[in-house]
Amino acid sequence: MSGATTAAYLARRAAQKERVRILYRRALKDTLNWAVHRHLFYQDASDLREKFEANKHVEDLDTIDKMIAVGEATYDKWRHPDPYIVPWAPGGSKFTRNPVPPSGIEIVNKGLEDP
Amino acid sequence: MALRAAVLRHIRLPVQTLTAAGSRPQPQWSFLRLFSSHDDHLTKEEVIDRVLDVVKSFPKVDPSKVTADVHFQKDLGLDSLDTVEIVMALEEEFKLEIPDKEADKIDSCNLAIEYIYNHPMAG
Repeated sequence: MSGATTAAYLARRAAQKERVRILYRRALKDTLNWAVHRHLFYQDASDLREKFEANKHVEDLDTIDKMIAVGEATYDKWRHPDPYIVPWAPGGSKFTRNPVPPSGIEIVNKGLEDP
Repeated sequence: MALRAAVLRHIRLPVQTLTAAGSRPQPQWSFLRLFSSHDDHLTKEEVIDRVLDVVKSFPKVDPSKVTADVHFQKDLGLDSLDTVEIVMALEEEFKLEIPDKEADKIDSCNLAIEYIYNHPMAG
């Protein structure tokens, strides 16, 4: 339908594959956020993997696009309200806690007035 | 850099004599403690060891095939979703937060080791 492996087809497929990978990554992190205990996480992660694997063989570009949209909607619906973010990253607890002091400032004599 | 060195010279306790390049202290200095986390970066060997450990303990991977040059999909026969899982495991191991676009590009052990080694916050 969309011709043989033309460049546009391949480009679209590659973009879709990237969207799928990013969606899988976010969904996996979300799964970890919801299922804190490791054994529960492994179970949920393998279920998520099954869902992705079940649709692996689909070839039609429009169907794939629809499935990705559905997947992203499901992900948005199930996003954790308080995800774990690494402390130094934006949104974490340590972010901008100790910012780098502006350049051009020299601490002379440890800040004391009398030498 | 000189200003920063001057500031640090004022506030850092003179516990040991590091060279100007801030090289990692030799093993005989291991009983001395660094009181600043400024030089506390991982060595390349540590990064390589930990990355290889993570990759080897992945259930779908054959541990004997794993070297530092391995490409996840070509050499180890993994899926793209498996690559995503490995990158997540590396994020958890080194306490990093890799942006999605960057994480998508990590395809082989080489890239992973380089990225982690050059990341300032790799734990």
